[in-house]
Amino acid sequence: MRGHLSSVKGGEPDWGGQLGSERSGVRMDEDVLTTLKILIIGESGVGKSSLLLRFTDDTFDPELAATIGVDFKVKTISVDGNKAKLAIWDTAGQERFRTLTPSYYRGAQGVILVYDVTRRDTFVKLDNWLNELETYCTRNDIVNMLVGNKIDKENREVDRNEGLKFARKHSMLFIEASAKTCDGVQCAFEELVEKIIQTPGLWESENQNKGVKLTHREEGPGGGACGGYCSML
Amino acid sequence: MDPPAGFSGLFPLGQLAYFSKNLQEAEQPVFTLKRGEAHNCFLKSGLVQPVLQVHRNTIPQIRLEMATQDRSSQRLPPVAEPAVEGVPHLPVGHELAEASRFAYAALCGISLSQLFPEPEQSSFCTEFVAGLVKWLELPEAVLPTMTAFANGLGGEGADVFAPILLKDPILKDNRLVIIQDLLSFSLKDGRYDARARVLICHVTSLFRVPLEELDLLEETFLESLKETKEEESETAEASRKKKENRRKWKRYLLIGLATVGGGTVIGVTGGLAAPLVAAGAATIIGSAGAAALGSVAGIAVMTSLFGAAGAGLTGYKMKKRVGAIEEFTFLPLTEGRQLHITIAITGWLASGKYRTFSAPWMALARSSEQYCLAWEAKYLMELGNALETILSGLANMVAQEALKYTVLSGIVAALTWPASLLTVANVIDNPWGVCLHRSAEVGKHLAHILLSRQQGRRPVTLIGFSLGARVIYFCLQEMAQEKDCQGIIEDVVLLGAPVEGEAKHWEPFRKVVSGRIINGYSRGDWLLSFVYRTSSVQLRVAGLQPVLLQDRRVENVDLSSVVSGHLDYARQMDIILKTVGIHTKPGWDEKGLLLTPGSPPQEEPRQVAATSSSDKTTPGDNPEVATPADPSRVQVPTGLDQSEGASLPATTSPAESPQLCSHGTGPNPLGCPDCASETQGPCPGLD
Repeated sequence: MRGHLSSVKGGEPDWGGQLGSERSGVRMDEDVLTTLKILIIGESGVGKSSLLLRFTDDTFDPELAATIGVDFKVKTISVDGNKAKLAIWDTAGQERFRTLTPSYYRGAQGVILVYDVTRRDTFVKLDNWLNELETYCTRNDIVNMLVGNKIDKENREVDRNEGLKFARKHSMLFIEASAKTCDGVQCAFEELVEKIIQTPGLWESENQNKGVKLTHREEGPGGGACGGYCSML
Repeated sequence: MDPPAGFSGLFPLGQLAYFSKNLQEAEQPVFTLKRGEAHNCFLKSGLVQPVLQVHRNTIPQIRLEMATQDRSSQRLPPVAEPAVEGVPHLPVGHELAEASRFAYAALCGISLSQLFPEPEQSSFCTEFVAGLVKWLELPEAVLPTMTAFANGLGGEGADVFAPILLKDPILKDNRLVIIQDLLSFSLKDGRYDARARVLICHVTSLFRVPLEELDLLEETFLESLKETKEEESETAEASRKKKENRRKWKRYLLIGLATVGGGTVIGVTGGLAAPLVAAGAATIIGSAGAAALGSVAGIAVMTSLFGAAGAGLTGYKMKKRVGAIEEFTFLPLTEGRQLHITIAITGWLASGKYRTFSAPWMALARSSEQYCLAWEAKYLMELGNALETILSGLANMVAQEALKYTVLSGIVAALTWPASLLTVANVIDNPWGVCLHRSAEVGKHLAHILLSRQQGRRPVTLIGFSLGARVIYFCLQEMAQEKDCQGIIEDVVLLGAPVEGEAKHWEPFRKVVSGRIINGYSRGDWLLSFVYRTSSVQLRVAGLQPVLLQDRRVENVDLSSVVSGHLDYARQMDIILKTVGIHTKPGWDEKGLLLTPGSPPQEEPRQVAATSSSDKTTPGDNPEVATPADPSRVQVPTGLDQSEGASLPATTSPAESPQLCSHGTGPNPLGCPDCASETQGPCPGLD
C-alpha cells in the first residue's frame, strides 16, 4: 500500500498560471498549480502539531502546548514538478474543542489521521475519527492518510502491520513517522499531495465548485456534460 | 434644587457616577449609571463617596439605596455576577467555553477578511482580531491562526463557525450574547468604527438575528452611558416590552465594559448635536450640567460625549464662509440619540410641500439620530422652481413626443434634444450649473467635517438624492484622498446622482465606505439627461444607469418603476428608501398622503427650535426666513412665480398615483418605465 516517493524539488515554473484562478483571499503565486486544503486529525497528544511543526518549520518542541481550536499553516511544496500550496489545518484533539472540528472538513482534499504508536487507545479510537470524517466530509474522493507517530519511542504498543492493515481496510495511505527524529514526516505530506494531484477531479473541481460559470457550451469530444467528473463526485 | 457647583453637579439627580480608580488624578467619570443599575457592578466603597455627599443633601431616598449598595459592594468584586432580581445570568463573551470563544474570534476574523479584503484594510482586521483574542482571554497561541483568518487565509467561510456557536448551550437561547459582546468590544476604546459596525451587522445576520435587535442594543448601550429623559412616544405595550429587554441587556453591556477596567471613556456620541447643545445643553445633560459646563470636569464630559470639537461646530460654520459656500448647517431630523448617525442631503427645494430640506426625509428611519444637511437653500430653491417649470409648464406639451424617443434611445439621443425644449433650457441651465458647482464644494466641506470627527467617533450613513447625491459623491472623493478616511462612513445611498457613473471614478470609494454603496438610478429620468447635456460631456451618469464596479459594497438599484421623473426622488422617497433597503417609519404611507402640500406639521416647531439656537437664522428651511436680505432671489426665475400656481397641482398630484403609466397625461410622460423597458437595453450608455 505504501507508495514510493517520487517528488522532484524545484519543479518547472512553466506550469504557472495555466490552471489559474485560486480562491480569492489567498494571494496568487505565479507558479503554484493549486492550493490544497489538508486537515490533520487524531486524538489528543498523538503529535499532530509536532508533525506540522516539523514539516513547516523543521523544528521540534517536546513541550508543545495543546492546540486551541485549530492551528493553521501554509507551505508551498513541489511534487513531481508541480508546485502546490498547502493550507494545513491542525485541529485540536482535546475533547473540549471537538465541537469545532466538523467545520474544518468542508472543502478539504486531504486528511492526515494521526495515532500514537505507543498508545493503543489512540489507535482504537481511529474508527471514531473515520466516522466523523465520513459524516462531515463534503466529498468522497478525499485522500486519507494514516500516520503512526512517535516511532522513535521504545514502548511501542501498536505494530506497524496493524496500522498497515487498518489503512488497507479503509483504503488510506499509510506511513509511520516521528516528528522528533524527522522520520517520514516530509514523506507523509509529499505523498499525500502527490496522490491528491493524481486525482484531478479532486483539486481541479475546486474552481468549478466556487460558483456558476456561464460560458458557451463547447464540450470537448466525448467530454460529456459534466466533463468527466460525474464518476468521481 | 440646583446642586452645588462642581463636578458632581454634572449628573442629574438619581444618577450615579463611577470614577476611575484615582479620583485625584482623573476627575472625569468613566461612565454614569442610572440609579437601579449600579447594584453590584461597579461600586467600590469610598470611590462614590463624594457624589454621595451631594445627593445626601438633596434626595434622601437615594442615599438610603446607595448606602445599602455600598455595603453590598464591599463583599463583591468589582465585576460581580449579575444575578439580580431574578434576571437569569447571562454571561459575557469571555465567560463562554474556550471552544466557543475560539469559534467566535474565528468567525469575526473570517468575516472581516471577507468584508474587507483590500490590502489597506488588513491592518485594521489584524488589530481588531488581536484585540478580540485578548478581550476573550484566549491564549496567545491562537493569535497566528486568527491573524491568518483575518488576512483571508484559510477561511472556507465564516458561516461554518456560526452553527457551531449556535450549538453552544449558552448561545442557543441567547444569540444576542455574542452581538452584545462584540458591541462592547468594539466600543471599549470610546469609538465606534464603521467597519466594526459592518462586522457586527454581518455577524448579526449570520446568527439570523433581526437588525432591529442590534439597534436596540446600541440604544441600550447609549442609554446606559448617559442619562436620557424617558420621552419615547410609543404605544405603552411596545415601550414596556422594549424596556424590559433593555433592562436585561443594559446590565450585561455594562459588565462587558467594566472588564476593560477604569480606562473606558465613551466618546461616541457626536458633535452634530452641536446646534442642540447650543440651544440649551440643559435639555441633554440636565440643567445642572449646563451650569457646570465651564468647569474642567464639565468640559471633559462634553468632550467625551459629543466629540472634541462638537460644541464649536456651529460657531465655526456660521462665522466663517468656507470657499464659495454660503449655507451649511445640520438640522436634526429625529430627536433620538444613537451610536450611529444618518445624514440626509436634499437635492433641491421646491415650492409647497418640499420647500424644506427635511420634507423628503420624513419617512427615513435609518437611525434614531438623523440629520439633514441644509445647504445653499437659495440656489436649490431656484433650481427646484426651474425643474418644476420645465416639467409642468413649458416643456410638457411641446416636448412630449420628441422626448419620448429621447428616453427610449438613451443618452445618445440627448444630442438631438427637441428645439422646443432647448428654448427653455436657460431656465434650468443656469441654476443647475450653479448648484452643480456648489454641491461639489459642499461635498468637500462635508468631507472635512466628517474627517475631523465633528460627529463624534461613530459610523455615519449618508443618503442623498439628486444634487444631494452629488454632495455625497464629492464628499467621498475628498475623503478618499485623506489617509485616515477609513472607518467613518458606514453606508452611502446615492439616488439619481448627477455624477460620473464610470466605475473607475467610484473605485476609491471602496476605501472610504465600509458598508454599502447604493446607486439608485432611473432609466426614465429624462430631466437628468437633459440637464446633463451641456453641463459636462460625461455620458455615463450614475443617476441614469448602474455603476459597474465589481465590489461587494456596490449595489445598483433600478428605480425606474418608482421614479419616472427627477422630481419623483423627493416625492417617492419613502418607497425609494424601502426599495433600496433603508428602514422607514412604519405606517408612513398613510401619513405621507395625509400631508397637504405646504404644511409639514411636525417639523416646523423643531426646525425653529434648532435655528433659534444659532446666532443667525441661516438654516434656510424656510426660504423666506433664510434669505430675507435677498429680494432678487424671488424674482430670479422670472415668470416662474406666475407659473408656480399652475405648476403646483400638476406636480403634486402624481405623488398620489405614482405607479400609473402616464402616457401623455402627466407632467413627465416619458418617464414611464414600461415604455422605456420596451425598447431600451439594460444600459443606455454609448458603449
